[in-house]
Amino acid sequence: MLRVEHLTKIYPNGTVALRDVSFEVPDGEFLVVIGLSGSGKSTLLRCINRLIEPTSGKIYWNDIDITSASPSEIRRIRRQIGMIFQQFNLVKRSSVLTNVLSGRLGYANPWLSLLGVWPVEDRQKALRALERVGIADKAYQRADTLSGGQQQRVGIARALMQDPRLLLADEPVASLDPVLAHSILQYLEQLNKEGVTVICSLHFLDLVHRYATRVIGLKDGVKVFEGLPDEIDRTRFKEIYGEEAQEVRAASL
Amino acid sequence: MKNTEHLIRLRRIFTQVVEAIVIGLALYASIQVTQPDFVKLITAAPKARQVLRELLAPDLFTRESEVVTVGVALPVPCGSAPEDEGRASGPRLEVEPKCAAERETVVVRGEELGKGVQVTLRWRLPDGNTLGIQRLVTDAEGNFEVRVQVRPIVATKGGQSARIEAEVTLPGGRITPSQTLRDVTDAMFVTIFMALLATTLGTLLAIPLSFLAASNITRRGRVGALVYYLVRTLLNLIRSYEPLVMATIFALIVGFGSPFAGILALVIVTTASLGKMFSESIESIDPGPIEAITATGANRVQVILYGVVPQILPDFLSFTIYHWDINVRISTIIGFVGGGGIGDYLSKRINAFEYSKAGTALLAIILVVWALDFLSAQIRKKLI
Ligand SMILES: Nc1ncnc2c1ncn2[C@@H]1O[C@H](COP(=O)(O)OP(=O)(O)O)[C@@H](O)[C@H]1O
Ligand SMILES: [Mg+2]
Repeated sequence: MLRVEHLTKIYPNGTVALRDVSFEVPDGEFLVVIGLSGSGKSTLLRCINRLIEPTSGKIYWNDIDITSASPSEIRRIRRQIGMIFQQFNLVKRSSVLTNVLSGRLGYANPWLSLLGVWPVEDRQKALRALERVGIADKAYQRADTLSGGQQQRVGIARALMQDPRLLLADEPVASLDPVLAHSILQYLEQLNKEGVTVICSLHFLDLVHRYATRVIGLKDGVKVFEGLPDEIDRTRFKEIYGEEAQEVRAASL
Repeated sequence: MKNTEHLIRLRRIFTQVVEAIVIGLALYASIQVTQPDFVKLITAAPKARQVLRELLAPDLFTRESEVVTVGVALPVPCGSAPEDEGRASGPRLEVEPKCAAERETVVVRGEELGKGVQVTLRWRLPDGNTLGIQRLVTDAEGNFEVRVQVRPIVATKGGQSARIEAEVTLPGGRITPSQTLRDVTDAMFVTIFMALLATTLGTLLAIPLSFLAASNITRRGRVGALVYYLVRTLLNLIRSYEPLVMATIFALIVGFGSPFAGILALVIVTTASLGKMFSESIESIDPGPIEAITATGANRVQVILYGVVPQILPDFLSFTIYHWDINVRISTIIGFVGGGGIGDYLSKRINAFEYSKAGTALLAIILVVWALDFLSAQIRKKLI
């Protein structure tokens, strides 16, 4: 159970990215965050694992206060929270396997990991994770030799290494073409069915209808919608995306 | 309408004239200050030619000379001692006739001694002493022929006749590096290792400093920002000092001609320069992977090792090799101000007017700098 209370983020330059946002995410949910570009989706997801320090408000993860956790506590919390990114954020010059193994750093022996030494179990776990996303044969290639869709699958494998209980996905398919979008989201859906809570920001409404169990709409840092995917009708849509917005469907692209 | 056009053109001409005058004044001032003596450049040509000739004839090899002495007995008077049979081939000396009376003249012939070779001809008296006859040079066939007068002093004593000997410096000895070349090689190695040591130490110091001077790593919070600005300012300050000036100062402290002074100066310059280059490389990395690895619960050192190092390693290696190349160049010059190595050797030879030895050193510098330049370019090409 994740609980966000009165979360506000003001960047040093004065931009108010989140304004008093509160919501709850029960375990096992597939929560989708929608909103225009600049509405605060990335900021919200990064506040949850404290890649960004919130200005005020509280975030509780199973009743542990993330916002006031010490550096070592936050590292222990982070290792249960996987994250995948729009730009995949792989280390391009490293091998696929090394990228996947880096997902295990939070659990690894700090000294051995600094020497680049990994236990056999971790290596096998990494290969299994790659197998699961269907690219075990690419393990020893450099990450930047892979296509976008393959790189995002490496990103998922890296998150799998964390044995995550929560998965944050920041527009995971926005850099991929629509056909690939489903294949990536299906992996997330599969994980979700296995009990991992997912919080995912998305752009295309038809993807929202297909995967979300619940939806939050952000506009200029304010939560303007919370409900089931089916509740997003034309009026709701205009509220979230503005009057002049057209409903864009991934399928129509 | 016409008037304004006219005015504009006038103004343009005026500014051009002013610019010309300013440039002229600046040139005049610089000539006054530096006092270039172009006439001297021409009047000194003969001297320059002499210096250049020696510089361009570097002292590289010596021929190991083999000194051979050949001789032939000459009984005086005839029958006082046995005559020499003489050899049929090889370097040899023949005398005609094979014995003589006092005050006669004999013909001495040297055979197969090598062409154009210095020969010292002398008597070996019965008592073992020598008596010089003359020095000569063999002809194109390697022979010589000379008439020698038989003086009373060479008469046979106690059944032992005098001999005529020719001491020949034979060519065909092995070609070996000259002493100069060996000295230059030694000094060059000092320079190369000086540069290598300085580059290594400088790199080791530059790595931590570069992380402190990288805004994306350090400039977080008040303390971070302070450290960032301090380190950056320090690096910039050091970089503004010439390595030569620094080497001079260190030479004053640790002694002239010591490679240590040069190494100290180079280490500092290398640290500052690589620190700056490294920090710029760190600042230009992709923040995405850092974010991703931080999100896995990795600690700061793990984030740097897994997220930052792979991104900067090629740059770091290539900058370091490039700087080694630079350091070899600088350290050749640093010797001039007391830093040891090849520059030290070169400056001493020039001060002693030993230009052909200086030429050897120059040749070595050119070759080594060229070779390193080539090598470092090749390695850097591989890294990208
Ligand atoms: N590091 C930052 N400094 C200042 N403003 C930022 C920073 N990151 C994001 N913002 C601003 O915060 C707002 C929300 O951004 P973001 O969370 O990235 O939105 P989204 O992910 O929905 O596009 C935007 O107005 C953006 O310009
Ligand atoms: Mg975003």
